Amino acid sequence: MNNNKEQVVITVLGANKPGILAGITRTIADSNVNVEDVSQKIMQDLFALMMMTDFSTANCSFEEFQNRMQAMADQLRVKVFIQHEDVFRYQHRL
Amino acid sequence: MLFSLEEVIETISAVGVETFDIRTISCGINIMSCTDSDVHKCAEKVYEKVVRVARDLVPTARTLEKKYGIPIVNKRISVTPVSMLANAFTEPTAVPIAIALDNAAKELGIDYIAGFGALIQKGFTRGDQILLNSIPDALCSTDRVCSSVNIGSSQSGINMDGVYRMAEIVKEAAERSRDTNGLACAKLVVFCNAVEDNPFIAGSFLGPGEAEAILNVGISGPGVVRAALERANNLNFGELSELIKKVSFKITRTGELVGREASRMMGIPFGIIDLSLAPTPAEGDSISDILELMGLERTGCHGTTAALAMLNDAVKKGGMMAATYAGGLSGAFIPVTEDAGMCRAIEAGALNIQKLEAMTCVCSVGLDMVAIPGDTPVDVIAGIIADEAAIGMINHKTTACRLIPVPGMKAGDVVDFGGLLGKGPIMEVGRHSPSVFVRRGGRIPAPVHSMKN
Repeated sequence: MNNNKEQVVITVLGANKPGILAGITRTIADSNVNVEDVSQKIMQDLFALMMMTDFSTANCSFEEFQNRMQAMADQLRVKVFIQHEDVFRYQHRL
Repeated sequence: MLFSLEEVIETISAVGVETFDIRTISCGINIMSCTDSDVHKCAEKVYEKVVRVARDLVPTARTLEKKYGIPIVNKRISVTPVSMLANAFTEPTAVPIAIALDNAAKELGIDYIAGFGALIQKGFTRGDQILLNSIPDALCSTDRVCSSVNIGSSQSGINMDGVYRMAEIVKEAAERSRDTNGLACAKLVVFCNAVEDNPFIAGSFLGPGEAEAILNVGISGPGVVRAALERANNLNFGELSELIKKVSFKITRTGELVGREASRMMGIPFGIIDLSLAPTPAEGDSISDILELMGLERTGCHGTTAALAMLNDAVKKGGMMAATYAGGLSGAFIPVTEDAGMCRAIEAGALNIQKLEAMTCVCSVGLDMVAIPGDTPVDVIAGIIADEAAIGMINHKTTACRLIPVPGMKAGDVVDFGGLLGKGPIMEVGRHSPSVFVRRGGRIPAPVHSMKN
């Protein structure tokens, strides 16, 4: 059990098409970021993906990871948001 | 999963679509240690201290923006009221301190620095006189320095000599900055019951009761409240209040998170969160839009004061539980030129300065960013300031005036200050004279309810 987890939420939104999940997870794996949970929905034609990840094992800085993910998102023409989980915890949990 | 997809998307769309942001992280810095009888030596010390203490403010804010995906729009600094240092000056000017503050702000990449001010609610010290006399020059020879002067309080009454002097200074600052439409006045606030921990410019300063350095956070979010109201129809007042409270809770919690983390990173104590809804000229980021969504045909129509009172109260109730220490001004701001909706209401003839004054009884902070005709006499400006101060004094709340008598412009003309200061119409003011009243001299005694001990 890793007690020094740094949990980061990755959200991907965009028009649904083949290869989004593959492209996103490849970049995550290349950065040695561990995926802990995944939730995905197709809402009308909108592809919505959320992943809870542990960033503590990453092989790059947070900013570099954001840049890598942004580059992949641009290639896939989707939007990606990478945020520390605290922002969601503070807003949605007492 | 810890959070639902819907919750995550709600947070993301608050930023992306509804213009939610942390409006400001403000670092208060005590500069009393910089005092010196030589104003130039004092200025050197002030520059050195401000740059040293706030060195990490902008980089920290940038790191937090990336970490949480929430924009932090403004990074600002406030200092001890400079009049306190000016008491020691041999030379009767405080302008070099303003220039030092301006240079420090530029060095640190900060857009506004505040605290070039004085607390004169009961009387003037020598330092206060030096400071007041320096204000027009200081505001016109710097880009980023803001000034505020407290002329009254519920505990002390209203220093009417101070009110009149400030009216003269407002007029002089406007004339001296004629080529920028009186822009110097947009950086000058006259307060009653000024608070010591306000993170919002231009009225920010580090009060004498504060710590050596402190971080205060101002939240924002009119757009988020507006979006919530747009999705909800036919709510009664109780339900409407509940909805606003929930939104306010969430945006304040985000401010709390950012404040705590910034404090940890910079090693400076976290002071307060200011629970204010602060509009910007951006479309949709408007307090007026919220009031109109509550069911007013136009902001300024009868019912506006009640709507604003309810909004302000619900924002506070929601925010109070989210913040460990709430403080500052904590209320909805209604600056005119900074809120496109307010400007539309004036242009439609629905909102005038009298109604605006009534609205200031129930929210923070007062007649804020109100452009008035350039030929408005000093006596009338003093009357406007005195009225606002009286509202604050009697109601135990902060009130303020940030009036801009725009040189060469008359009621109905449109002035553009640019950027966050926005643009808007010149408002008509009363033309009958309060001259005899405002020139009586002395102090309006403190109200009876000041005697609580």
